[in-house]
Amino acid sequence: MRARSVTLQVNGQTHYLKIPAGQILVETLREALDLGGTRNSCDIGMCGTCTVLVDGKAVSSCLTLTAQVENKPITTIEGLSQNGMLHPVQQAFIDHGAYQCAYCTPGLILSTVALLDEQPNPDDVAIRKYLAGNLCRCGSYVNILNAVRACRTLDDQSRSV
Amino acid sequence: MAIGKSIPMLDSVARVTGTVPYASNLKLPDMLVGKVFRSNVPHARITKLDVSAAEQVPGVVAIVTATDFSGEGPPNLHFGSTYQDQPIVAADRIRFIGEPVALIAAESTAIAEQAIDLIELEYEELPAVFDAEEATQPGAPQLHGAFPNNVLRHSKLRHGDIEAGFAAAVKIIEEVFNSPAAQQVSLETQVAVAQWKDNKLTVWTGSQSPYTVRRVLAAIFDLDLEDVRVIVPPLGGGFGAKGNIRTQPLAAALAWKVGDRPVKLVLTRAEEFFTVTKHAAKIVMKSGVRRDGTFTARKITIFWNGGAYASSSAHLVPAGMLRAIGPYRIPAVRVDSYGIYTNLPIAGAYRGAMSSQGVFAHESHMDTIAHQLGIDPLTIRKKNLLHTDDTFATGEQLHDIHFVRCLESAADGLGWHEPFQRENGTAKKRGRGVAIMMKNTIANSSSECRITLDAAGRVTLFISTVEMGQGGHTAMAQIAAEALGIPVEAVSVQGPDTAKTPPDTQTASSRNTQMMGNAVLDGAASLRRQLAEAAAPIIEWLPEELSVADGYVFVTSQPQERIVYAEVLRRNNITALTANGKFSTNVGKLDSETGQGISTPDWHQGAGACEVEVDTQTGKVTVLRYHSSSFAGLVINPMLAGLQNDGNVIFGLGASLLEEIAIDAGQITNPNLSDYMIPSFLDIPVELKNVSLEAEGSSFHGIGEMTLPPVAPAIANAVYDAVGVRIRDLPLTAEKVLRTIEEQNDHAR
Repeated sequence: MRARSVTLQVNGQTHYLKIPAGQILVETLREALDLGGTRNSCDIGMCGTCTVLVDGKAVSSCLTLTAQVENKPITTIEGLSQNGMLHPVQQAFIDHGAYQCAYCTPGLILSTVALLDEQPNPDDVAIRKYLAGNLCRCGSYVNILNAVRACRTLDDQSRSV
Repeated sequence: MAIGKSIPMLDSVARVTGTVPYASNLKLPDMLVGKVFRSNVPHARITKLDVSAAEQVPGVVAIVTATDFSGEGPPNLHFGSTYQDQPIVAADRIRFIGEPVALIAAESTAIAEQAIDLIELEYEELPAVFDAEEATQPGAPQLHGAFPNNVLRHSKLRHGDIEAGFAAAVKIIEEVFNSPAAQQVSLETQVAVAQWKDNKLTVWTGSQSPYTVRRVLAAIFDLDLEDVRVIVPPLGGGFGAKGNIRTQPLAAALAWKVGDRPVKLVLTRAEEFFTVTKHAAKIVMKSGVRRDGTFTARKITIFWNGGAYASSSAHLVPAGMLRAIGPYRIPAVRVDSYGIYTNLPIAGAYRGAMSSQGVFAHESHMDTIAHQLGIDPLTIRKKNLLHTDDTFATGEQLHDIHFVRCLESAADGLGWHEPFQRENGTAKKRGRGVAIMMKNTIANSSSECRITLDAAGRVTLFISTVEMGQGGHTAMAQIAAEALGIPVEAVSVQGPDTAKTPPDTQTASSRNTQMMGNAVLDGAASLRRQLAEAAAPIIEWLPEELSVADGYVFVTSQPQERIVYAEVLRRNNITALTANGKFSTNVGKLDSETGQGISTPDWHQGAGACEVEVDTQTGKVTVLRYHSSSFAGLVINPMLAGLQNDGNVIFGLGASLLEEIAIDAGQITNPNLSDYMIPSFLDIPVELKNVSLEAEGSSFHGIGEMTLPPVAPAIANAVYDAVGVRIRDLPLTAEKVLRTIEEQNDHAR
């Protein structure tokens, strides 16, 4: 298979890689960079388990060619905690028990980070809509909603729908 | 106190940082990729299989076909946990679309896929049968010679005088209910990594049944059990699909042919649908009732579509027989539960296994009876519900029964007796429904554990309980901490590794909390005895004069005379104390002709109540409010228990409203998450609440499935309440609801 050189900016580090041409980002992250928090599941962009942030936006890494995101800042779940401190969204997920098998959790946390970046104070409808592309088969949605609510800049309890 | 606390799962940091070591993340040195070449016809005789071109592809290391099993001695081609009817790869015969025909081990996925394209398969097609009931008819294609009429198992229950019962009835009501095949859709697909060394096999796999996997692999390769090691890291969901034995023989056969390099087989999403599904079921339910709404008799006939091989159907068919009856006082009951071979993928456990289909039937049926007699659906249930000391249709006397409380707590949560706005002048109508379930668990089963205490005071729990998201390891750590009087933080859990953790039947049928929980209590009691004995010479009292609690061994009559656990070890120069615990039940041996006997150590009990909105212009059903309840006995971790209850309801919403495997001439046409939809954030009720009921003096009960089976009938009953149409085929899609409403309108005109 034809190889291709790429330069990736992942979690603040620059990687010069030789990858098969046409490789998708989830494979590059898992295989070349050993970042196992980005996960395959549906392979067609329906489930959100492979979500990563590219330029701060949530994207499905199973639908993204690695070559498309050269030199763009990519954040995976492994890059979210800083200096051993969990990101506030990660901590909120623990505090609210917002996971079971946790296979979907990195994708949900990254989508939440993107949501809060776009809308610091989403109401419940906005949260549900924004996270509708991240499936949780164990069905932890109620606790996930509670975790995301707790991350709003203004945590207004009366705003529930 | 550790029990009753909502502590986060033990490995929570790993769960939010993406570092849970799922089998799908496993990388071993020199690891090869495994891929499966699958059939594309549902029933055929293989006339030619040529893998020679595929073998020539650079980077292909091994290809396994049925000829690899044709020599004298092992490995054996056929395997199965109950019947050995399933070939690792098809030999002369293909029995469903998606059946493995050849296995490839290669240096990369791309190479394996290239090789798959070069495999030549020729066959003569045979007539195929896909419907379970049709498969039992004269002239139907036969799948397995030893099973006439494709009946893989027929379970019977005969209780009371059925003819007299129907003769005494004022009304006899018969209905037919259908549940389709569905897929469990664990987000992590099935994974098995296999490696051989010195004629010993190690398998790392996402499995709910490590010891079943070990036993079946040992049988395939004719190995001593000790020469097969099965290691199970946490699972990215199980839901029954990962129970029994699935992909492990394929990976093991590939690695066997390869030699010493490990082979990793990870299924694609589509392959999940070809590997295991929920049983499609047709249930004919006939009841005789008196004017007051009490029962005289019930007759049930069930056809379970088992697919091409028996797999777990052989033991699930009798369980499904019991789970279709309903938690009611019925003096005469007759059930025929047929497990049937068809030319479809294998059916197996699906969360709420063999319950959801039957509960959909008996609870929808209960509302039909209520409406025909003009009795409130809640009232008629309460009138008939079983109580402690009542006799069930198996003839066994019931214990620890809380059906009325379960149902009332769900109905009260919803506000069943309070008026609500049924319509608001639009095309949207609202209605309410309730439903309840009872379920036996695996009756003849055993759980063992080993507990060590080291000189630093740390406890390690060695258990084969599979952590699949339910928090099973956390719950066991809480039980151990409680029983030993130490903080949960002092307890570590070593999960399933057959070389390290003692046997457990499997993590399925909501049995772990009750069975392993009691094994841990047994082990902890033994450890406390050992501590007392080891402490006795140190504090110069007799062991029987000592107590062990709250981290100390102390003199019962003088509690200030005490010594911490770690000190007991250090003073005795012991590096660690080791205790074994075991809990087993040996019931479940029902009479094969009558189904009479003791079917289960305890009964799973759950209920649900909901309010739905039906758009009469589109047929769309929206569940606005859902309240569930399960009987937990003693709640170990309220947060994790709540996740089980809610997770069940959401799983059930999928099966109720969205999920159906579409099959066209044996071909699954929607094996992907675009065409096969599972519930998203937008599908869950805005009001979703649950209750885990406890009872004075009661111990742990399983709660992994209880609130799931009531979901579909509660919704179907609410739809009936809203718009007056009875839908007896799942799922309640908008198209189906609209069509039924229109048919009713046409009929009215």
